[in-house]
Amino acid sequence: MDFVQNFPAISILICLFAGIISSGLKGRTARYINTALILIVIFLSFCTLGYVLGTGEAYVYVMGKFPAPWGNEIKAGVLEAFIALFFSIIMLLSMWGGIKKLGDEVEDGKVFLYYVLNDLLLSSLLALVYTNDLFTAYVFVEINTIAACGLIMIRQNGRTIEAAARYMIMSLLGSGLLLMGICMLYDLTGHLLMSNIREQVEILFASGNYRIPLLVTIALMSVGLAIKSALFPFHAWLPDAYGYSTVSSAAILSSLVSKGYIFLLIKIIYRVIGFDIFYNSRIINILFVFGLMGMIFGSLSAIKENDVRRMIAFSSVAQIGYIYMGIGMGTQAGMAASVFHVLSHAATKSLLFIAAIGLTDVSGGSRQFVELTGAAYRNKWAGVAFTVGSLSMVGVPLFSGFISKLLFAQAAVQNNVKMLPALIVLGISTVLNAIYFMKTVIRIYTPVEDRSYESVKFGGMKLYAATLVGFIILNVFLGVSSQPVVDLIGQGLAMFS
Amino acid sequence: MYYILLSIFFPILCGIFLLIRKEMEHRKNLLIVVGIIFLATFALTILALCLSGNEMFTLFNLSGRLPVLFKIDEISIVFVSMTLIIYICVGIYSFEYMKHEEKEKRYYGFYLIVLGILIALCFSGNLITFYLFYELLTINSVPLVIHNRSREAIMAGLKYIFYSLCGAYMVLFGLYFIERYGNTLTFSAGGVISASAMSEHGEILLVLAMLMLIGFGVKAGMFPMHAWLSTAHPAAPGPASAVLSAVIVKAGILAIVRVVYYIYGVSFLRGTWVQTVWMVLSLVTVFMGSMLAYREPVLKKRLAYSTVSQLSYILFGLAVMDAGSVTGGLLHVLSHGFIKAVLFLCAGAVIYMTGKTRVEQMRGIGKEMPFMMWCFTIASLGLIGIPPTGGFLSKWYLAQGALSSGICGFDWIGPVVLLISALLTAGYLLPITIQGFFPGENYDYGALQKKEPSLFMTIPVLILTVLSVFIGLFPEWLLNYLSQIIEKII
Amino acid sequence: MGANLLTNYGEAVAIILFGIGFGNLLLQSNLIKKIIGLNIMDTAIYLFLAEKGYISGRVAPIIVDGVQDMEKYINPIPSGLVLTGIVVSVSVSALMLSITIRLYRRYQTLDLDEISLRLKKEGL
Repeated sequence: MDFVQNFPAISILICLFAGIISSGLKGRTARYINTALILIVIFLSFCTLGYVLGTGEAYVYVMGKFPAPWGNEIKAGVLEAFIALFFSIIMLLSMWGGIKKLGDEVEDGKVFLYYVLNDLLLSSLLALVYTNDLFTAYVFVEINTIAACGLIMIRQNGRTIEAAARYMIMSLLGSGLLLMGICMLYDLTGHLLMSNIREQVEILFASGNYRIPLLVTIALMSVGLAIKSALFPFHAWLPDAYGYSTVSSAAILSSLVSKGYIFLLIKIIYRVIGFDIFYNSRIINILFVFGLMGMIFGSLSAIKENDVRRMIAFSSVAQIGYIYMGIGMGTQAGMAASVFHVLSHAATKSLLFIAAIGLTDVSGGSRQFVELTGAAYRNKWAGVAFTVGSLSMVGVPLFSGFISKLLFAQAAVQNNVKMLPALIVLGISTVLNAIYFMKTVIRIYTPVEDRSYESVKFGGMKLYAATLVGFIILNVFLGVSSQPVVDLIGQGLAMFS
Repeated sequence: MYYILLSIFFPILCGIFLLIRKEMEHRKNLLIVVGIIFLATFALTILALCLSGNEMFTLFNLSGRLPVLFKIDEISIVFVSMTLIIYICVGIYSFEYMKHEEKEKRYYGFYLIVLGILIALCFSGNLITFYLFYELLTINSVPLVIHNRSREAIMAGLKYIFYSLCGAYMVLFGLYFIERYGNTLTFSAGGVISASAMSEHGEILLVLAMLMLIGFGVKAGMFPMHAWLSTAHPAAPGPASAVLSAVIVKAGILAIVRVVYYIYGVSFLRGTWVQTVWMVLSLVTVFMGSMLAYREPVLKKRLAYSTVSQLSYILFGLAVMDAGSVTGGLLHVLSHGFIKAVLFLCAGAVIYMTGKTRVEQMRGIGKEMPFMMWCFTIASLGLIGIPPTGGFLSKWYLAQGALSSGICGFDWIGPVVLLISALLTAGYLLPITIQGFFPGENYDYGALQKKEPSLFMTIPVLILTVLSVFIGLFPEWLLNYLSQIIEKII
Repeated sequence: MGANLLTNYGEAVAIILFGIGFGNLLLQSNLIKKIIGLNIMDTAIYLFLAEKGYISGRVAPIIVDGVQDMEKYINPIPSGLVLTGIVVSVSVSALMLSITIRLYRRYQTLDLDEISLRLKKEGL
């Protein structure tokens, strides 16, 4: 066994240990540990990615000494390693972008807790990405939820606590359904490891017995994860949670936490149920319809919103809708488009949140649109970054958003029934996106005379500006040379089954 | 080969550089820099035209089978020369006009970026590249429209964005399918869609053709998506509305030429319902634009409606798909470009010198600014189509092509509508001249003072006026050149 | 159908309890009642697992008298899952309770809808 094969397990474990160690440290030390940790995880994921690309196949890593049907396993393929790498990069940039704000918004004595939660969140995300065991996945889903809840309410005010309560309730409903699904699946197949379940499910499906319990199981798991990732009708907690928590939390929650659940769902579809069986169940149509509705209603709510961060949050609802639409398309191409959109949305949405905070800071801390007038002149970097993020969301070529829309449409063209609704809603949603994002961009570039807020110079925000540049590069990279990434996704999805 | 890239990216990069640079202390320095950039771009583009033959040049792959590639063909040469001439003339004009506007640096920055994008549009070798720069054009021309940041200007800018993005999405809709059925998006004369795809998916391809026509028709101001033109033009500063009307809307025309003649191919579309609907829409627009212009009291709005109507002359010519009418359409692209630039620049000069915007205020304007109004008059005559101007020639070919096309009904309805619209054009343009030069008896000659603008404004207008007449006087070489194109595509 | 329900009455009860808990967690506006709902829901799942894991007449797989026959023992994994699940649900309940306390200290009410209303009035 090559030494590199240990890296996924090591990266999960060091995150857990870093969290434990940080809980006894001061804020500043915890911050260094956190940064070092994320950098190490980036390195480890990069090595893993290189290794699996080299061997060309996914490998199974046995945790402990128990072999397959009983023990716990990690399975790392191209897509897992790539997602882990991408998530940790986004995490690093989001943390850097919000560091300054964090000092203002969190009590001094509690800063270290933020980093503890962050380490735990990273570990649970990595575990969700890598694990091959359904019950482990459930446990880490819960750890993820708890850590995310802490990230929301680390900034203490009425709104965030209420948002955290709502978030917890929704998440618990979701994980209850997920757990019920897992238990029933265990009941049907007698296994907890994904690959073993899949064999049994295939036998079961071929035999024709237990069709309804199988359908119920699939429904329970998909709906549970859909609730947790804030698919349209279950998004009530989202605007407050994203809109009022500290900025790093908002960026991480919107771009990583919900995506972790989506990735788990995709893994379940491929590895546990099997793509064809999932496709044959009608659950897929439900996801498709809710995805479409999310695309429209998320954007409509965003248009009505008068607060820039809540607007971005509502736009997340729409973007999650895109992803579920792609999953619901029921084709390999749709799935690949969804995975690409997971990446592109992660890169764009965290950019938008981080840029928005720069704009609101130079507008007296107010997030109302009126106050934002001319903010882009007061903080030039944030203005440019916000514009890039908006253009990417609208789907202008050269940015990542365009490529994901292109992929969605190409996928839609292959499905005769869902082609028309998908394309029409994609069109409407694009226009709606354009309405609220362009409105904001023009607003922040409208000069204002009567009131003068302080403007920020580059010297005062080097790290912040560097973060923004990093995000912009990531965005343009995904938009300009998407082909390698799309190939990678295709290769990774092929390794899933 | 790299000259193509240089001619595209040099102005864009210069524009970005201007935008991020600090405000210059002396206005003169800015103007000199911008002037040098204009000249350099001109030289680079000429070099690109001379040195690169018909090769294709792939910059990079956007995704899979979608390369960003550039290619120069005859159509690109026609459009790019018009763009450059008008753009540089208007640029020089704005040296004077923008004196009193704020944020000149930003204006020139975006002006140069838009120039680069327009050149890129002309040189695009496939539909995806074209689409890419088409979107960029929309977004980067908005700052020109909303330059003075008043509330009306911003609303106009938003309207412009939404119309254009709606249109662009319809196009994207078609692009997805053509990429699937056509195997390639590269422009080639006569169309790229395979015969088997045509017979199998004929109906859906037609629907898509219609969608793309309407989508690109947004930029070209075709009914039913024409309303943004009349809002955006008056809001923009004078020179910006001149390039908007003379050059930027032509991007829509170029797009339609590319889609119809280089992607679908004439043989596929001729005689289908798409052609009929297209002809009806363009004729409706011709008539409606003229009527609206006739009733409009604000000069720049009137000119904007006139643009709506005149662009549909071109679209009608393209829709008929007859050699003569397409020649007429392409000729009208050139002559309308020059003429409309002159008209807008004159309107801008009037606003700049006197602040008058409404037609009824312009009594006696010819006495105050005789030179500008002479140019205005000549251009008006050209737009109406009175020989020997370029406008006459293009309309002649349009009408002749329509008559000889033999499409039942349209072969006579078309010319009739064009004729009525020409009369209306005379009706809305000539009174300005007449009132301007012959203010009537109760005009107070005592208060009259000469208000001719400086040479920066007059010379570009003069050049453009001369060019518009020149096309009409010496059309042979141009006609020969256009006939080469027509042979290939029809 | 009815006969199936009767033989599997344990599972049926578990599912009904799950529904009750789920409904409470979703629909109650009182936070404490929500937490009770959450616990009912989780317990229902453990009941389901335990019911599934037990085969009557067999014993836990602890070898005391040297019998290694598979037919004598039940599958121990569901019990293990129940234990893990309980740990998770305890921590989640604790977190929910602490959030509830914080909200109560701030707003002197346990009604989530009323808290939302007040937040809107504060206009934060």
